[in-house]
Amino acid sequence: MSIDWLSAYLIYALFTVAGTVGLAQLLHLQMGLAGIGNFGIVGFFGLGMYAWGVFQVRIPWPDALGDWGSFFLSLVMAVIVSGLAGLLIGWVIADLEGDGVLVGTLGFATIMYSLALSEKRWTGGAEGMAVPDPLRTFNWGVKPMSLFWLGVMILLVVGITYYVARVHRSPYGRLLIAVGQNEPLARSLGKPTFRTKLILFALGSAGMGLVGAVFGVMNHFIRPTEIGIEVTLAAMVGLVMGGSARVWGAIVGVLLTAGLFDIVVQIYLPLPDSWYQITLPVVREIVFGAMLILVLLWRPLGVLGDMRRDKLVERLGSG
Amino acid sequence: MAEAAVTASAGRPHLRVEGAVKSFDGRVVVEVADLTLGNNPVEGLIGPNGAGKTTLMRMIMHSLKLDKGRVTFYPGDGARGVVISSRPAHAMASLGVVKTNQVIQDFEKLTIWDSLLLAAARRREERPFRIFAEKRVWARNTDEIKRYLEEFPFANPYGFAKSAGEKKLLDILRCLLLRPKLLLLDEPTAGLPADVRDRVMQTIKKKAVDENVSVVIVEHDLNVIWTLSDYVHFMAEGSVVLQGDPAWIREHETVVEKYLGKGHVGH
Repeated sequence: MSIDWLSAYLIYALFTVAGTVGLAQLLHLQMGLAGIGNFGIVGFFGLGMYAWGVFQVRIPWPDALGDWGSFFLSLVMAVIVSGLAGLLIGWVIADLEGDGVLVGTLGFATIMYSLALSEKRWTGGAEGMAVPDPLRTFNWGVKPMSLFWLGVMILLVVGITYYVARVHRSPYGRLLIAVGQNEPLARSLGKPTFRTKLILFALGSAGMGLVGAVFGVMNHFIRPTEIGIEVTLAAMVGLVMGGSARVWGAIVGVLLTAGLFDIVVQIYLPLPDSWYQITLPVVREIVFGAMLILVLLWRPLGVLGDMRRDKLVERLGSG
Repeated sequence: MAEAAVTASAGRPHLRVEGAVKSFDGRVVVEVADLTLGNNPVEGLIGPNGAGKTTLMRMIMHSLKLDKGRVTFYPGDGARGVVISSRPAHAMASLGVVKTNQVIQDFEKLTIWDSLLLAAARRREERPFRIFAEKRVWARNTDEIKRYLEEFPFANPYGFAKSAGEKKLLDILRCLLLRPKLLLLDEPTAGLPADVRDRVMQTIKKKAVDENVSVVIVEHDLNVIWTLSDYVHFMAEGSVVLQGDPAWIREHETVVEKYLGKGHVGH
């Protein structure tokens, strides 16, 4: 089967869109259900990416482990490190009001960015670091390797989406909504709200770290430009666009924003070549910002509308 | 003497408040030397506005921190007392100490069934990895919730609580589903329609008598207090000044003078 019609850019764009859906779904749990506005998504994403790279490249793994052994161990470490960072940041912000959470998480992402730049010995600084692809032994060529990782990312995102869908239909989801809606009331019903938020934040961060690590693997190169604020913005705009009413919200929202812009506009619209380097990334942020404002003005609950929890509960009750 | 009192009341869940002080901006709002709540099935806590009733309730539930003193809960099954004033607020419900809210409180995005299931769900069913626990929670609680919903109908129990009355009722039902041992009701009748109010009070009285739940009611509608309670604490200026049978309290000159006014005497 020929895969010539698939440009390397299209694979990369699909990969980015899939990763953004994954981040938006995790944000759905944190912000959509439990009301924790995490503006530091890219911090956890970047920590996962860098932790994987640093463990993979800087640790002298014994040869006996092979490429895949060291790869999986590094991946596990990346998830653990991001989860622990989530636990720490969660502990700092769990009792803060909305704007405190915003500043705290945003600050964390900024710290991660600065560390990536400054800790040259580990991260390679501004130039970044090349990371090995465990697939290289198969000699598949670049495009099939990218396709493989695209498949892995899609599987991961499908898994996250399935989890979020189940959470909507489980006592845990009910607890998260309760905590997000009225914390003192939830506490009076015996719910340990602080611990609930802390664990949710740690798990969400671990998931974001995993998405970041897979991103680093596919990219073959890890550098600070990959962990700018636009990663957070894309996930957040996507989620707000689609709304937190349903599991589909994050998917529809990201497809309407990053999907439309990164794939349809950049590949299929006849744009001057000179735009791609500098103009388009700026236009992207302007368009996303404008969309965010428009959605919040006219459809504050997202294009899919309000949460129909009454219908869901009726279904759950009748079967 | 104190020992004897404790043994005598070991059968009922009760609270002992000792040396509890709370002040706001230097003004002492509550100062209770030694108070036992819950030695009778239903007790009333009355007093003029600003007497500190709601503050005392919130201190007991630990949604307000005590400046001084402690609150101990005796579950009534012969088990040793638990100092609840050193426990976090969310620990109260699992110990069996539960309070309804004076001001209407609700989860806007949870339906009535959701709210009731939330109260009834066990903590281990709400863990992040229990994504298939929903069926169990429904199966275990449906009968009980349906009984309550038949007795106290809502416009649409699968939908959201709409009126103030529905939200207030939902608040009380949530508390009953927590299966309390000691239930504090902070102005339970405010906002409830008269017929619902009466049925709620009957249900609660029945729980108190049949299921050994100790109920403490803070209420401005004194008819509720005189008809339901077995014992009344009268609070004024931050401390409990009188305790006794409803009939006796009702006639007592301090109560009449500070609270009821002359018009109430002589029935």
